[in-house]
Amino acid sequence: MLTANDTDTSEELDLFTMVVLRRRFEAIIREMVNALFKSGRSGVLNTAMDFSCSLTDADFRSVSVALGLPVHVGAIELIPMAVKEKFGEAIRPGDCFVNNSAYHGNTHCGDFTLCVPVFMDDELVFYCIARAHFGDMGFPTPTTYGPDCRDVYQEGLKLPCLRIQRDYQDVTEVTDICRANIRSPEQFYGDYLACLAAVRTGEKRLKELCGKYGRDVVLGFLRKYQDYAETMCVEAIRKLPASSISRTVRYDSMLADYLDGIPLTAKLTIEPDAGEIHVDLTDNVDNLPLGINMSESTVLATCRMNVLGQLGSDIPRCAGSFKRVKVKMREGSAIGKPKFPAATSSATTHLCHLLGSHIQALFAELIDGTGSAYGTIGLPGSSSVVSGDDFRYDGRRFVNQVIMGYWGGPALARHDGWLTYGSVSSQGILWQSSVEVVEQQQPILVEALSIREDGGGAGRHQGAPGAYCVFASRDNPVTFSLGAAARQFPPLGVRGGEAGAATQVSMRRKDGSEIELPSTGDVVIQPGEALVSHGPGGGGYGSPLERDPARVLRDYREGWISRSRLEETYGVVLTGQDGIDTVDAPATAARRKEMGAA
Amino acid sequence: MAYEIAVDVGGTFTDLVIKSDAGMVKGVKSPTTPGNIIDGTINAVARAAEALGLSLREVMGDCRKFAFGTTTATNAVLEGKGARTGLLCTRGHRDVLLIREGGKDDTYNVEVDYPGPYIPRRLTVEIDERIDAEGGVVKPLDEAQARRAIRELLDRKVDAIAVALIWSVANSVHEERLAALIEEMAPGLPYSLSHKVSPSIREYRRTSATALDASLKPIVNEAVRTLSGRLAAEGFKGVLTLVTSSGGQTSPQDVQAKPIYLCFSGPSAAPESGRRFARLENIEGGNIVTVDMGGTSFDVSIVTGWEIPTHRDGVIAGHSFGVPSVEVLTIGAGGGSLARVDAGGFVHTGPESAGSRPGPACYGRGGIRATVTDANVVRGYLNPETFAAGTMTLDAEAARTVLRRDVAEPLGVEIDEAAELVCVTCDQSMVGAIEEITIKRGIDPREYVMVAGGAAAGLHAVAIARELDIAEVIVPRFAGVLSAFGILTSNVQNQYGRSVFTRSDAFDFDAVNRNLAELKAEAEAYLARMGVEGQRRCLEFTAEARYQGQVWQLTLPLQTDRFADAGDVAAMVEDFHRLHERLYNVRSAADVVEIIEINVKAIGLVPEITLSQSERGNGEPRPSGGRSAFFRDAGRIENVPVYQGEALRAGHVVEGPALIEEPLTAIVVPPGAVATVSEYGNYRIRT
Repeated sequence: MLTANDTDTSEELDLFTMVVLRRRFEAIIREMVNALFKSGRSGVLNTAMDFSCSLTDADFRSVSVALGLPVHVGAIELIPMAVKEKFGEAIRPGDCFVNNSAYHGNTHCGDFTLCVPVFMDDELVFYCIARAHFGDMGFPTPTTYGPDCRDVYQEGLKLPCLRIQRDYQDVTEVTDICRANIRSPEQFYGDYLACLAAVRTGEKRLKELCGKYGRDVVLGFLRKYQDYAETMCVEAIRKLPASSISRTVRYDSMLADYLDGIPLTAKLTIEPDAGEIHVDLTDNVDNLPLGINMSESTVLATCRMNVLGQLGSDIPRCAGSFKRVKVKMREGSAIGKPKFPAATSSATTHLCHLLGSHIQALFAELIDGTGSAYGTIGLPGSSSVVSGDDFRYDGRRFVNQVIMGYWGGPALARHDGWLTYGSVSSQGILWQSSVEVVEQQQPILVEALSIREDGGGAGRHQGAPGAYCVFASRDNPVTFSLGAAARQFPPLGVRGGEAGAATQVSMRRKDGSEIELPSTGDVVIQPGEALVSHGPGGGGYGSPLERDPARVLRDYREGWISRSRLEETYGVVLTGQDGIDTVDAPATAARRKEMGAA
Repeated sequence: MAYEIAVDVGGTFTDLVIKSDAGMVKGVKSPTTPGNIIDGTINAVARAAEALGLSLREVMGDCRKFAFGTTTATNAVLEGKGARTGLLCTRGHRDVLLIREGGKDDTYNVEVDYPGPYIPRRLTVEIDERIDAEGGVVKPLDEAQARRAIRELLDRKVDAIAVALIWSVANSVHEERLAALIEEMAPGLPYSLSHKVSPSIREYRRTSATALDASLKPIVNEAVRTLSGRLAAEGFKGVLTLVTSSGGQTSPQDVQAKPIYLCFSGPSAAPESGRRFARLENIEGGNIVTVDMGGTSFDVSIVTGWEIPTHRDGVIAGHSFGVPSVEVLTIGAGGGSLARVDAGGFVHTGPESAGSRPGPACYGRGGIRATVTDANVVRGYLNPETFAAGTMTLDAEAARTVLRRDVAEPLGVEIDEAAELVCVTCDQSMVGAIEEITIKRGIDPREYVMVAGGAAAGLHAVAIARELDIAEVIVPRFAGVLSAFGILTSNVQNQYGRSVFTRSDAFDFDAVNRNLAELKAEAEAYLARMGVEGQRRCLEFTAEARYQGQVWQLTLPLQTDRFADAGDVAAMVEDFHRLHERLYNVRSAADVVEIIEINVKAIGLVPEITLSQSERGNGEPRPSGGRSAFFRDAGRIENVPVYQGEALRAGHVVEGPALIEEPLTAIVVPPGAVATVSEYGNYRIRT
């Protein structure tokens, strides 16, 4: 608790300074984000904003603000920890370290993470970190997800915590290896410079801050700030009932060992007296011969961020509050720490989406009014990586991830699902691509992009629908690298809510007929053909029979749901006059009673 | 005697500034009349006339120009009171207004509903047609189906139609054809076409702008008709102009044709005001942060090198409006912002506000929670007896009670410290807003001068400036009517644009020059129509340009209105490299530069305004009394000198700690700061 009676005598820090320094740290991170956004060259950076900036002190205690992707910032301390472990006393001012290795604390290999030490008076006091999802990392095929990769050797370039700058100059051996392995090396180098601009901006501003307020005051603030976050977290946990729940859900699988789906089990225990929440993931399958294995970083971040998500938006997401979320995982498990050489290129998406949703759903099942249903899982066909040659520019190569129709937010206790959710890893932060920009950058035609009728899971609150999206090739073939899921096991509802509509991916042939496509892998769409994607919807929260009939009618009139869903799922009876539908309240009540009894 | 009048209709007050040919300039405030802004406006003119010893009719009859900033459009959007509007869109793209562009303001706050589309799906009808990115017709317009679609909207009783098709900016033929069909089937029905409203790529922004524009047409037509009618009835025979989102003023006819440009009319003139005061005071460099702090909100805008930057990211009630606008950042911080202490012991202020009803606890109107104004009463900065020109007496004891209960006791601190913490927290929110608008543009606020207006700004301006290391704050003589002053002094201005796709390695001279010539003719005709004399005309051509492969454009000023040869293109490319380097610190010398739009700003320059000089003061200013006040670094000081602003004269110097009381605001000069009254009666404070 931050009060004037605080007896921390190590430094004098009044409440005014606390208020001011809190704002200073927010401003520094904001400025880092801005530096990266403005100079990023690839679409995932400058359009989707698929990057995050944070910082820690020398003891790896993190500070972040609500600007980054939850899965990016939830376990950022692993990055400077890897630097310290590997370089120890050899860390010097002007160094910069690069890391994309899930075996060295990174999220997945598509995330390119830079970390610089910040020195004051010859002492290392901070680390600044920027993490960005790059468009390419030198995979055999042009993608950075690779859900089908069997092991790390199919996942392109590995940067296992290397020094990429010394004395503020590039270590060209490292940048040359990157350029030699990554497609479109110019775009890579531009994006690297953007990340570098972010961490160097942070370094400069932190030094100025220490210069203005004094290093000890700034460090004292950080210590108190962590105490503050911890207090906020404990106070919120104390309001919850002591309880525990363990559940298993399943994930789509083609593996012979898991024809009934890959099980994912989590045990959630709330201990209000201790002010702790435990997530036990030890009872999970061994590493799979697939890229969907999670990494230590994404397991930790997903658990911490989704637990804190239930405790209030005003609790700072930092080391102090993370301390109160205890995560147990097993090395060698797909939902845990990977065991070399397990592939982890899809560690921020597929199983990660299911785990994050699962934690929220466990809260919902334990305590009505908290948590959420399951949100979208995997990447819909409409958010594939697209590549090929562009006939409009003399066959120029293009590789880009389109972020389109990445929808299907889960229903919450008091709200319908957020449409442009972009999965539990981003929770609405990702930007969606513009149809016109996509058509200008790639030789494809977006024939349709709209919500799927009845796509969201029914419930007292309804899940957001997924997207119906059609991409037609124009004058040359286009390759789509698919990373879909939620076909066999669509996002579930909670507390009586129904599941969202399942994923579909198919190809429309020249004659108009459609054939189903596998969820993952590369597909080439020839001129005259089209990729047809139905993205998954979020699950519903609570019984559909409890949904406000006026909202059901509105959804029907607006084309979100069909007449049959209105009648058969929601039990609403309409009566019409002058062609205008209104809810027949008594008949609706009677019908709902009957349905509830059945 | 001829007059010019400028009016800014706000939510609570209608501000008016009147200027005579003799150099007299005067500002008045009068309550806004809800539901009928014109009565409030006429009341304000009557009040000004009274102050000049004239009748309303005399002033109106002699008024040459009446410039009007109105929240008509802004409020219609904010309150969802636009006309019932239908949308015609491309087959397959019915959800453009629903999808928007993604992103979320506060990641961690899950207690929010997903926002609905500006035009509901049931009033959105798809048209069988398709244009591609190069302007080619993939699928011709199906006229029979289009007629059925329009009929469907008419049957649903729409009062306006928005037409926004994919790639209409690359080829407008289908939108033009739909316009003809609408005119044929529903003569006189207002409609808007996306390639005309906002000729830029990105379907969401263009569609949203078009939807807003169409929905505003019936309302703005009516408002303009009523306004001109009423002004005429009061004897006005001069020229009426309206202030647009870009801060300039233009004719009612132009606004009726594109009412979207009326978004933010009023606040959009604040940076102009900051610029004029900075010029008057001979500030070097022309870098100004203008802030306006009232009861519920805090507005920030900037001027850099005497230029008022505009952007196209403007959002109103969550809807993008796409057309160029002055960037004004508004946050929920003001006198009414509520204070609370969280479980971990941090103080928060706002964005929840007690507003003016019930208002702060000290208003005695039923407010029961501590606000920033209550904290300022406790600090001793506000005089309870003379608040709001003496129209209200503040209950200082009520302020102390709520502050003690809501802040001091939970934190275990003295009440003075609690009040200071509340104000520091609020100051920090405002500092954050200024940083957001400056950092985003790569600007260092330390190189800026702050111009502070609004009733509450004088209480916080120096503290905010100090936090940002801003050395000087100007609190203008017209601080209470800041935007109205900006309206009075703003240029006549309108913008015209064309989509043109070309690239530096295959420059389409014909298309570019043809469009430039057309824009030039359009701009000249506009300035002639507005009665702007030749030497006051100014045309600024710009291109929306980017490196090939980039998705965001930069606005590149063009040095020529005709590209004669490759040399001109090379010069344009070099200008782009420089611009990119200035903003992002890198240039890609080998990259091709693409142009996707060409625009012209037609400007009719308004002469520099001169304010009458204030009388020079003789000797030291004399305080009217003293009051006990609390300052963070100095603690509580008894008998802080209090000066009456009306008694101060040019050249007078007030050293902090001191309080200066003005009828509508109070200015705090903390210890260490020095305020000087300038020759124009503005306060210049060295922080």
